[in-house]
Amino acid sequence: MDINLSSEDLAFRDEVRSFFEENKIKSGEDYFSWRLGWFKKAREKGGWDVPKWPEKFGGPGWSPTQHYIWEQETARANIPFDLPFGLGMLAPILMNYGNEEQQERFLPDIRDRQVNWCQGYSEPGAGSDLANLKTKAVLSDDGTYYTVNGSKIWTTLAHVADWIFCLTRTDDSGIKQQGITFLLFPMKQEGIEVKPIITLGGSHTVNTVHFTDVKVPVENRIGEEGKGWTYAKGLLEHERTGLAGLSKSLVELEQLKDNARSIKRGNGNLMDESSYKSKIGELEIDLLATEFTELRSLASAAAGGEPGPESSILKLKGTEIKQRIQKLTVEASGIYSSAWGDKGVGPAFAKGGTAGYLNSRYFTIYGGASEVQKDIVAKKVLGLTKGSSK
Amino acid sequence: MNFELSEEQKMIQQSVERFVQENYDLSNRIKISSEDPGYSKEYWSSMAELGWLGLAFDEEDGGFGGNQIDTLVLMEQFGKGLVLEPFLANIVLGGGAIKRGGSAALKESIIPSLIDGSLQLTLAYAEEQSRFDLEDIATAAREDDGNFVLNGKKSMVLNAESADKIIVVARTNGSQVDKEGISLFLVNADSDGLEKENFPTVDGLRASEISLNDVKVSPENLIGEKDKGFEILQAVANDAILALAAEAVGAMEVLYKDTVEYTQQREQFDHPLSDFQVLQHRMVDMFMEYEQCKSLLFRATMETVQDPQLSQRTVHALKHLIGKSGIFVGENAVQLHGGMGVTEELRVGHFFKRLLVIDSQFGNADFHLDKFTSL
Repeated sequence: MDINLSSEDLAFRDEVRSFFEENKIKSGEDYFSWRLGWFKKAREKGGWDVPKWPEKFGGPGWSPTQHYIWEQETARANIPFDLPFGLGMLAPILMNYGNEEQQERFLPDIRDRQVNWCQGYSEPGAGSDLANLKTKAVLSDDGTYYTVNGSKIWTTLAHVADWIFCLTRTDDSGIKQQGITFLLFPMKQEGIEVKPIITLGGSHTVNTVHFTDVKVPVENRIGEEGKGWTYAKGLLEHERTGLAGLSKSLVELEQLKDNARSIKRGNGNLMDESSYKSKIGELEIDLLATEFTELRSLASAAAGGEPGPESSILKLKGTEIKQRIQKLTVEASGIYSSAWGDKGVGPAFAKGGTAGYLNSRYFTIYGGASEVQKDIVAKKVLGLTKGSSK
Repeated sequence: MNFELSEEQKMIQQSVERFVQENYDLSNRIKISSEDPGYSKEYWSSMAELGWLGLAFDEEDGGFGGNQIDTLVLMEQFGKGLVLEPFLANIVLGGGAIKRGGSAALKESIIPSLIDGSLQLTLAYAEEQSRFDLEDIATAAREDDGNFVLNGKKSMVLNAESADKIIVVARTNGSQVDKEGISLFLVNADSDGLEKENFPTVDGLRASEISLNDVKVSPENLIGEKDKGFEILQAVANDAILALAAEAVGAMEVLYKDTVEYTQQREQFDHPLSDFQVLQHRMVDMFMEYEQCKSLLFRATMETVQDPQLSQRTVHALKHLIGKSGIFVGENAVQLHGGMGVTEELRVGHFFKRLLVIDSQFGNADFHLDKFTSL
């Protein structure tokens, strides 16, 4: 065991830092053209535009330490926004289960950030119990297209998406995990209606999506009919054990401390108050531990094995940590935490702090609620099933 | 010892409960909140006609001679509907200051119009730097030719948008954090030099930042003795804590009951959610927090009625527990409602927001734990 970075890793870190420095947005530069240019240059570095993709598909083939360095540096630098749906969610499924024609058709646009994807999984009756989904896809008599009818819910950014990857039911005769089919289709077409859902923080990012007789050609089906659950499940596991955004949380924690220090109390500031300071301290200790849980998880995955049991707690801890940062921001805002809307009242960080906290309650619900995550850990890691003590 | 409400109090409780059931479904609340003035003038008049606004005032001032227990009865039911009408600002804060410190002339001119609902009043106590410290007052009132001249800024003033008069807490003596040297002034909202910046709050109510530039106040509008306003302020703040705690208890009851009902209806994994033991235990925890808050609310209120001097420590304990438990119950109600809990469409989120705001008013859980342990 050695906590020091090797000289190669240090060199890599410097290279990443100078890349970020050299390609910062210039004042007056158009954000979107800067963004596309940034990804182009990152690609020229040898797959830096798709760090998590395998080398075979153009990824950089980094070591776990390099991924860790990248995550740390991106958390600190101002790099362009990116969405996970195409790049991190659909792409691995295409790579593993899509045919060559589909890979060639969809992956380049995903990589170029030209097409916005959304994920059609959850339904009004299928939340944590995702396999309970009912959106129906019926194959035409000539076997050339499916007709899709049903509803999806919590569809993030469906209102700006060009395409959707969607779980549909093609057979309900067996157990519910069977008979699910994975389809891709464009969002801007007749028969698709998107309705906004306003969250407690007052924002519109999620939607309900209704399908009425939407026609989808069979060549847009991933893999075999009825096997969609297997394809999606692999991805869900990936989502559940994936990076927990801890580097970002560390940066946010430092920001939080600065904010708390700006709140004057007597001769000192809020960070001198023992109750507040203790909560910050407990949070930081949890972060230090969780950061290394993540590193251990990355290392065991890289050693070729399955991700170790430690990886199962990452989503649980990571989301809880993010919520606690939001909560402490609200507490630091004091009386101003109850101000709402666009007017800035009180310290600058107070604006939007409570909205952020309210929306952060979603973190322990999406992608499998924390209660379900713990069920999975109990079952898969601890071997606890009903009747296991007998 | 007796926890029974009187017959009159029971009747009022039932009548408020009915009012809330009939008038405060979520869509109506959202509608009232989004239109000016942010509450229903019609409901406010009804509250006056039903006598609710006069309950806690003395009989010689035109009230019914009630006390904090009567306010508890009202506020707990208000909490079940997230009632928007400015009872706290007018009656508990504004009226509370006047009835404690107002001269006979002030009482006579103000209290009857509070009771009949014709006057809108509020209390401006907080300031940007004060956070939760009531005694941290930088707004200055200097004497000038027999009058007082006010300069400074007040923050997060509830109901100021509608208020005809505002009670301003200002410093007449001493350094910024002295309890001595604080005075209360009744100021017309349309006074020269008084400016308001109005905004909505997280829970759908309204508040304002107020700036005072050479605002003239005549000496008859001084509430209580000059320099001795802190005692009045502390007593009013304690009453506000009791009132907010009662409202919070009402809101917590709705949250735990809605959650129990929802988990019995919502099926996942071929079972109602309520079949899962982890969720059952969570709801038992929510229920326990609610009951404990209610107990401490009764204790603090009864002690205050008995002897306000001796109840201070229990009032701190109450506000700590209400803040902590209210957020616990709110967060878990949202969690157990899943994605729907995080939307504006179900009422649980709105109740959660109110509990969040209540924690930020008159000192949060940390502040009162600190006060409690140092008394």
